Amino acid sequence: MRLNDFFLITFLSVREQPLRSFLTALGIAVGISAVVLLTSLGEGLHRFVLSEFTQFGTNLIAINPGKKSTLGVSGAVISNVRPLSIDDADALSMLPGVIKSQPVIQGNAAVEAGKRQRRTTVFGVGSDTPEVWQLSVAAGHFLPNDPPRNARPYAVLGSRLRKELFKQEPFLGKRLRIGGEVYRVIGGMESKGQMLGFDLDDAVYLPIAKAMSMFNRESLMEIDLLYDKDHSAESITIAASKMLKKRHGSEDFTITTQEQMLETLGSVLNILTIAVGALGGISLVVGGVGIFTIMTIAVNERRAEIGLLCALGASRQLVRLLFLGEAITLSLLGGLAGLILGVGCALGLALLVPALPIHTSWGFVAAAELIAVLVGLGAGVLPANNAASLPPVEALRAE
Amino acid sequence: MIELLNIERVFLVGDEEVHALRQISFDVATGEYVAIMGSSGSGKSTLLNILGLLDRPDSGVYQLDSQRVSELDEDHLAEVRRHQIGFVFQFFHLIPRLTAFENVELPLTLAGVAPSLRKQKVTDALAAFGLRDRARHRPAQLSGGQRQRVAIARATIMEPKIILADEPTGNLDSSSGSEVINILEELNRLGITVIMVTHDHAIGARASRIIRMADGRIESDSRHR
Amino acid sequence: MRISDMFTFSVFAAIGNRGRTALMLLAVSIGVASVVLLVSLGESARQYVSNQFSSLGSNLLIVLPGRSETVGGPPPLLGITPRDLTIDDAETLARIAVVRRFSPLVVGAAPVSHRQKEREVTILGASRDIFAIRRMEIGQGVIWPANDNRFQAVCVLGSKVKSELFGNDNALGQKIRIGDYRFQVIGVMRPKASSLGDDLADMAIIPIASAQALFDTSSLFRIVVEAESEAEIAKAKEAIIRTIRARHDGEDDITVITQDAILATFDKIFKAMTLTVAGIATISLIVAGIIIMNVMLVAVSSRRAEIGLLKALGAPKRQIVYLFLTEAGAISMAGALCGLGLGGSILRLLAWFLPQFPIFFAPWSSIVAFTVALSTGLLFGILPAQKAADLGAAYALSRR
Repeated sequence: MRLNDFFLITFLSVREQPLRSFLTALGIAVGISAVVLLTSLGEGLHRFVLSEFTQFGTNLIAINPGKKSTLGVSGAVISNVRPLSIDDADALSMLPGVIKSQPVIQGNAAVEAGKRQRRTTVFGVGSDTPEVWQLSVAAGHFLPNDPPRNARPYAVLGSRLRKELFKQEPFLGKRLRIGGEVYRVIGGMESKGQMLGFDLDDAVYLPIAKAMSMFNRESLMEIDLLYDKDHSAESITIAASKMLKKRHGSEDFTITTQEQMLETLGSVLNILTIAVGALGGISLVVGGVGIFTIMTIAVNERRAEIGLLCALGASRQLVRLLFLGEAITLSLLGGLAGLILGVGCALGLALLVPALPIHTSWGFVAAAELIAVLVGLGAGVLPANNAASLPPVEALRAE
Repeated sequence: MIELLNIERVFLVGDEEVHALRQISFDVATGEYVAIMGSSGSGKSTLLNILGLLDRPDSGVYQLDSQRVSELDEDHLAEVRRHQIGFVFQFFHLIPRLTAFENVELPLTLAGVAPSLRKQKVTDALAAFGLRDRARHRPAQLSGGQRQRVAIARATIMEPKIILADEPTGNLDSSSGSEVINILEELNRLGITVIMVTHDHAIGARASRIIRMADGRIESDSRHR
Repeated sequence: MRISDMFTFSVFAAIGNRGRTALMLLAVSIGVASVVLLVSLGESARQYVSNQFSSLGSNLLIVLPGRSETVGGPPPLLGITPRDLTIDDAETLARIAVVRRFSPLVVGAAPVSHRQKEREVTILGASRDIFAIRRMEIGQGVIWPANDNRFQAVCVLGSKVKSELFGNDNALGQKIRIGDYRFQVIGVMRPKASSLGDDLADMAIIPIASAQALFDTSSLFRIVVEAESEAEIAKAKEAIIRTIRARHDGEDDITVITQDAILATFDKIFKAMTLTVAGIATISLIVAGIIIMNVMLVAVSSRRAEIGLLKALGAPKRQIVYLFLTEAGAISMAGALCGLGLGGSILRLLAWFLPQFPIFFAPWSSIVAFTVALSTGLLFGILPAQKAADLGAAYALSRR
């Protein structure tokens, strides 16, 4: 039999009972659109989170005090008998492949500018912050590269804090009072937005040494290393680890590469997307039961036709393929309709709720279609086999 | 061309064995016009099913064109049916969703014949059976006689050597019935072997050979004309 | 027709076509089972979390240094501030009537060693009330005497730290080194299932003043406060803020989080998740409804003669509608029952394989699943029933 004849005959069988075929395909369509919509949401979330992270660049390595392998916060970040120091940060910047080494502490303080006051996040950082964290300066310039012990009391404002304290007024050169000391504003940052709850815009950036003395701390919370893209994260990690072990005498720090973090996060989010898609897949399975039911009924109703096909010289294999083809056609039609429905819903949702991160991943869509076809195949096998093994004499008698 | 030797067929009905065919042996030569007659339950339909390779004998030898078809596997049987045998049924067995044209075309489609050739052949066949203007009709829109003519057109489209007809007039009024018999006789005159099961004596009498069956045995086998 | 007769008739009609009926039951039961399963798992997780929370103690408030101006923004969990919370700040909380107990906390990491064995351990500096507040039980030995504000070189070890450093040997009375100081082990905590966030078994707990000396700091990480009763939590929160403000020159530079606020947030998240997941599973019940409709439509055409007969026998339209609806309803009910059984058994199996995670059957899931199954069955049964009722009697009885 020719392939296009095969398709035509299959199509005619499906068309013969339009309502029945429509409902059968609808079952699959609902399942597929659920999978497409849910994976679109999952994938959207995935991309959203990854872009939140990668806005700091991907060739970053973070070093925290204390030994802890999980992403959780170690008690050592708060207090530690062997602190990470500015000297450590300076030493690490000498490592080959390391472009910048950035000491960080973070705290909370009230910032006063004239009569206005706001409690905000204080970042004690080095002069290379814009480069390391990929921030850009909107006005003035960032903190100068003063020697740590002799830093001038300068401050740079995040965009939100600047608006809260100065509205539209000029702010460069103005004085701020933070933690009992006076700082001079020398720059303002572009808006960077939130990063998983941390608002980098509602923050003030101070020289690291100033911030440490204000908070009365000797230990850094983090050292960020920006490395040359030609070097692997692994080689930098090994070199940094070796150097710090030599300086501290033991491994009392944790190194996290951005790559590692993205990978862990990516796989977690992937699992989430797949899990959500699998939940939608339950409907697909039920839809498969629908195809199975209808095909069983069809084989039963069309016994005479099966007998006739045998009498006309169709082989059993052909009869089996014809019924399988019918099952797959149903699932494929349902799959396509579900695809349109699902993508349509995703687009509609994206229009209605622009804040929702939605991204239709064609990989998942293709997987869903493939599963639809497999569902059709799986649901069709038994009825098709029944059809093929029907004795022709008996089949013809069924009138 | 057909040689049957000691064909036996037993069915299990409940716990009881029913001998549908016992020790059936006969030959049919090419171009013969045979009527198989007998009361219902005499085994004539079973015999026709075995002749048409739709059913297998439990024992005995069936040779078609000196090929022992009783030993062929399913797929080869299908192939023999496709190319050598045409079936005509009492209830026509037309596929309701297909037009007259498509029903006639079906065997060619199954055999994988090219569409252009198919179109030519089917058009010719419909014209030959006076169905030219019925090509686009579906079975439900045709009269009984027209349906059976479509079925015969379908049975002959592959140019088989044998036509097996199971009560071809059983579901028709007498005028359509005789019309159908006329067609079958015309086909026989063109050299096709026709074997027909019927219990209508008038129709049976028109055949050149009558095989009468009772209780699964051949009661008589007579040729005339 | 009596309802019971109608029911019997429909059930026999359904049983008469066993294969199809079984498949419809399968479709409905997959849907119901997944709803029941997912809802129960969600509910179990919610219970688990709230149990974990209450095992941390009850009526708790946590006082953090620093404050976030953004409403609804995250509290400054890593808050370090120019003006720290101090032990003196904590002491003044004792004057608040609705505060039952409190403990200042200092957290840090330090190497802990005994002879050749060393381990990097989280050190918790606290007052002795922390054991009562956090419901930590001492397995062996005692807690230090109630004089938290003086350096005392004593410690209580978590069970894991103890076994890492001492194995099966007796640790009580032994000297260990924490950072640059030597401490005497006076107590070992009873092993406890790990609670949220911090693993108490891998900690050493020392008096607050000792911890401040160890880490050379005068500031506190936070203060944990237990209110007299649940009703007094809000009052306590207000009083704490007022008291600290008075000490900090009228400045609002602390954040007070209440345990029930955190719990409520978690509860909300879990509820939303459970509902979402149940909603997704409900889609499969709609698909099952579509299947019921489809198969019933087939049944209407294959049972045409029967419908014609009923009409000839004088059955009104309405009755035929009811008959088919009863059949659809009965199938979805039976499917729901099978699904409940299936979901319940899978839950049991899960509970058996995961004894450490309390899995239970959420009764409301079965109500939801049942209602949805029945209503989809009836809803999707309307069209076939209507179609059956609309068949002309003569046509229905004629063959073909």
